[in-house]
Amino acid sequence: MTRYAMAIDLNRCQGCRACVEACKIENNTPSSVFWMYVFRLENGVYPNTDISFLPRPCQHCADAPCVKVCPVGARYKREDGLVLTDFERCIGCRYCEVACPYGVNFFNWRPPEDAFADYQIPYDDPDLQAVTGGLIPPYQNPDHQKMHGEEQRLTSGSAHSAGVMEKCTFCVHRVEQGMQPACVDVCPVGALQFGDIENEKDPINDFIQNRTRFKLLEELGTDPSVIYLGGAPPDHEAREIERPMTGVSA
Amino acid sequence: MTTKNKEQLPMGVGRVTTGWLVFVGLALVGVIIGVIGFIVEHSQGMVATGMRDLGVGQGATWGTYISVVVYFVGVSFAGITVAALIRLFNIEKLRGVARMAELLSVVALILGALAIIVDLGQPLRGLTNLFRYARPQSPFFGTFTLVISGYLFASATYLYLTARRDAATLAERDSGLRGFFRFWAAGYEDTPDQRDRDRNTSFWLALAILPLLVVAHSSLGFVFGLQVGRPGWFGTLQAPAFVVLAAVSGVGNLIILAAIIRKAVKAQDRIRIAAFSWLGRFLMLALFAYLYFVVVEILTLLYQPSVAEQALSEALLTGEYAWIFWGSIAAFVVPLAMLTWMAITRSWNVSWLVTAGVLVNLGAIGKRYLIVVPSQTHGQLLPYGIGSYNPTWVEYAVILGLFSLGALMIALFMKVFPIIELEEKQPAEHEEVTV
Repeated sequence: MTRYAMAIDLNRCQGCRACVEACKIENNTPSSVFWMYVFRLENGVYPNTDISFLPRPCQHCADAPCVKVCPVGARYKREDGLVLTDFERCIGCRYCEVACPYGVNFFNWRPPEDAFADYQIPYDDPDLQAVTGGLIPPYQNPDHQKMHGEEQRLTSGSAHSAGVMEKCTFCVHRVEQGMQPACVDVCPVGALQFGDIENEKDPINDFIQNRTRFKLLEELGTDPSVIYLGGAPPDHEAREIERPMTGVSA
Repeated sequence: MTTKNKEQLPMGVGRVTTGWLVFVGLALVGVIIGVIGFIVEHSQGMVATGMRDLGVGQGATWGTYISVVVYFVGVSFAGITVAALIRLFNIEKLRGVARMAELLSVVALILGALAIIVDLGQPLRGLTNLFRYARPQSPFFGTFTLVISGYLFASATYLYLTARRDAATLAERDSGLRGFFRFWAAGYEDTPDQRDRDRNTSFWLALAILPLLVVAHSSLGFVFGLQVGRPGWFGTLQAPAFVVLAAVSGVGNLIILAAIIRKAVKAQDRIRIAAFSWLGRFLMLALFAYLYFVVVEILTLLYQPSVAEQALSEALLTGEYAWIFWGSIAAFVVPLAMLTWMAITRSWNVSWLVTAGVLVNLGAIGKRYLIVVPSQTHGQLLPYGIGSYNPTWVEYAVILGLFSLGALMIALFMKVFPIIELEEKQPAEHEEVTV
């Protein structure tokens, strides 16, 4: 059996947020949507402060609360461990979003043509139009249009249709072609590792071997597929600093 | 009072008055405002509402819509309970409010269903996929099937069955609605045989509805009570507390409706003060039970809270939601004091009861809001910080539209069917009037 998992080495992570950027470009997510997110956290009182970083993709839980509550089976778990959203079936009730303790779900509050407006790219500019052919966003990986998995459902990347839920897919469209998720590929310090944790020969098992590790909010019984190495879970005194732009304007 | 004139139908059925027209006009305006809100919401996307992503977005993804879904489904409690109790325990004095109670159930459930549809990002998909891909594992399954389908179907059937006798009676008279009454009666002619069969059917239906009611309202509680991801939601008390708060808001609503209809169709002799005192006592008991749940809940939340629960309880008790919390508590305690006083002195006053009904409904809406929203903005389990949620005019417009639609449906029903059961023909069952 395959179980895809991600290992994140917190001792290596320097909080550069390159993974966040890679995710946004690969999946064309609108502004304020962060399938991959990196907390920049501060503890203590100045001048005795500690800075720590915590990348937060979807945890792809084995016992995912979002999958349980979905009334139509649009959010589902695959045999290989990926938790995906069928963008064509989702009715937009947002139950998965309130059920998820990790806050990884993002709802399409706006239709796609408005959702990219906050990037302030002059899409109407004739010069730009000549290059993009009027597409918003200007470029999409054509793999996103394909159906994925044995189940052949529309689950990857940038559907972004209004009124539908979306979240990190572990880049299912890349994984199915034997590639790594975009965030893993781009990390300049190799803090992220992705692979089949059930396969002893997979490099991810070497990566996590003999390391102290934890999973986020493991006590809730969700059994996440994201393993954090080194470091410690954020405590309740951790404050977030340097937040990215997250407001959704009407 | 009903048979003075052969052409005139009882309870103002078929006659349009100026007051009624004004009421319907206002309700229509409300409905139109709601429709405009809905159109705006789904042309701009749900960004037109105040709801935003929780977590990184620091908002609440469920807001006023889900609160009113829960509220409307709660209101439906009253009707069918009262109707079933009348049938099962033969409570004669409540017979006057039975039909309006059943109607209230049906209307409230329709509004609840509409409020769900309004809340969906893809309403049309919802209409098909909720049935096509229904998953019993989701607590929403209970909301859609048990509550909206099963419960609505049972209530509507109950309303239909118990009204057949009246339809048959009215079909004998010469009026423009004769065909409609004939259709409703569907061959029923009020022979002893038919009457027995109808009574039997509605008795067993009432017996079946009572457990369905507990299951249905519990299933709504499970929508929240089964979730570990949000502080303040997970708990065994959610389901029973939902049932009890449903009783509070439902009976409160029924009292208001009964008082209005009593005035509107001048039926002081049919809905007597004894009916109000019964409803008042029921409301009093439900309020006692609900306040008990509130105390238990708060005590549990305060005694040894987790960090997340502490953030939540601070927001609720002293923070930004405190005015709603304490306002709701006041809206339960004050009516409880009024009702207890009336019960002790045995002097029941309709306007006091209506005041109590209005207050408990405001309190119920407040409490529903507090169940839904604060657990999303406060007490995040990861360090996302505190969020906020401010409903926009679109949400208020749609909710106004829903309430107006409810008023409109009841007003229209009153003009095509007697809102109070006609008295049985046997003079022996007629009691003297004392108000």
